[in-house]
Amino acid sequence: MRDRHLKYLLVLPAVVVVFATAIWPLIQSLILSFRTWKLSKSHVPGPFIGWENYSWALLEEPDFWNATVVTTVYTVLTVGCTTLIALGIALLLAPGGRLRLTVRTLLILPFAMSPALVGVSFRFMFNPEFGLFDAFFGLLIPPLAEVSWLADPTLAFAVCVMADIWGWIPFITLVLIGGIAALPKETVEAAYVDGASGFEAFRDVMLPQLAPVLAIVIILKSIFSIKTFDQIYMLTNGGPGTATQTLAHYAYFNGFKYYDMGFAASVAWIMVLPMIVLTYFYTRYVFRRG
Amino acid sequence: MALTNKQRKRLYGALHVALILITAAVMMVPILWISMAAFKTHVDVYQLKVVFTPTLENFETVFQSPYDLHHKLFNSTIVAFVTVLIAIPLATMAAYSFSRFRLFGERIMFVMILATQFVPAVVIVLPFFIMFRQLGILDTRIGLIIVNLSIVMPFAVWMIKGFIDGIPIDTEESALVDGSTRFQVIRNIVLPMAAPGIVTAAIFCFIIAWNDFLFALILTTNKAVTLPVGLALFKAEEGDLWNLLAAAGIIIMVPMFVLALLIQKHFVQGMTMGAVR
Repeated sequence: MRDRHLKYLLVLPAVVVVFATAIWPLIQSLILSFRTWKLSKSHVPGPFIGWENYSWALLEEPDFWNATVVTTVYTVLTVGCTTLIALGIALLLAPGGRLRLTVRTLLILPFAMSPALVGVSFRFMFNPEFGLFDAFFGLLIPPLAEVSWLADPTLAFAVCVMADIWGWIPFITLVLIGGIAALPKETVEAAYVDGASGFEAFRDVMLPQLAPVLAIVIILKSIFSIKTFDQIYMLTNGGPGTATQTLAHYAYFNGFKYYDMGFAASVAWIMVLPMIVLTYFYTRYVFRRG
Repeated sequence: MALTNKQRKRLYGALHVALILITAAVMMVPILWISMAAFKTHVDVYQLKVVFTPTLENFETVFQSPYDLHHKLFNSTIVAFVTVLIAIPLATMAAYSFSRFRLFGERIMFVMILATQFVPAVVIVLPFFIMFRQLGILDTRIGLIIVNLSIVMPFAVWMIKGFIDGIPIDTEESALVDGSTRFQVIRNIVLPMAAPGIVTAAIFCFIIAWNDFLFALILTTNKAVTLPVGLALFKAEEGDLWNLLAAAGIIIMVPMFVLALLIQKHFVQGMTMGAVR
């Protein structure tokens, strides 16, 4: 068979699968978002109602805006803290040596953990009676000793953010170590020879060269922060009240607790919009480097 | 008191080691703590005990009625395994073609494949839930496998393409000149050389499918429940059964730890789909 035909035949099955399992549901969700359909009342889809689901979410639902604010603050905090802490750890671990390589290997473990299990673990760590972190923070900051973290809206949110950062630091750190290893050594050394301090060499020489890798890391982490569901579900289930309810959790709740399919689809599609922007930037970076 | 250069260097060295050890501790403590709980009795869990008499009782209990964790273990294994078995051959074919040929609409297909991985899972699962309900395949492993392919398939294509890109094209070309067919080239030259990469991709995909939570939460209720969703079993009226939760946690995480350590060299490249090297 000629390559001319073969090359399309080779990609066809994969493209069909991606289309059927990812593109098709995406389009179906979009169509669904313009209908009214309460699954608890009817087995057949209701009529098209234009933008009503969207306007309902945007204009009539304080819970939607609550989820939007929660997701935004959550994303800013987790992306910012994870990137900063991971950059610090990456700089610490970048030089070789047995201790550093061992710790690098250990870092793989938290990332192989199911996010749902990360949620469970942190609920365990912050249990008011026998949670280790609860006891630790209680000793460190005495006013927190008697507080039940997951029952307090602000502290519960803080625990969610901590769990997320804990789960993502390993991966981001390993990516940044890879980025640092790829930097040409001469430039940093030249800066030292010119009398730059360690911090100056980092700020003026390393950081600008690391910028593309940092950009990719920040975009990728933002995408995953906006989507966060598993840990939240296991850790607080959106509570107390709606203090930790992210958009993904809000969409899930409307779709599979209230069975309001059309509305859930519109919330889900509102989440897709920032993804499109982020994916656009991500592909630009990926193709420029490739 | 001024420090000499040598003293300063030593001080920084010690400080770095201390910081590294603190990092390692913070990352490992939650894993160790929950692992320890799996070997504690119900009573010991409720006291912040570090020294205790380990027991395997929890692991026995979780495999008995009403928890029957072996059913969930079986479901998780089958779903992850079959998903990988479908995705990897198809992804390898596509990845080879993307890597070696120029295709019409290549860039659009690429962006499409990349972008689908970033779509929130809720968006994907809504239409599938409705369709599976009509077809009567809610709460089946087949349904879960289909939906897992939506994440695993694009990921596998990207990753394997990255590995095939790294294989020099010369040997292939000379074999073609010598009269080999394209199929012979793929089977005899490309597949053996790409094998480590393909295995790495397969392990990655297995971990992703195994750790999936949202799809299984929504699409299964009883028969096809997987391990991560099965964790919810241990919420009792009187509170969480932490010793059992921890035992189930070990069963979920330890196999993935082993797999992740097997492919640790490729971990970063795999997760960023070659975007960062």
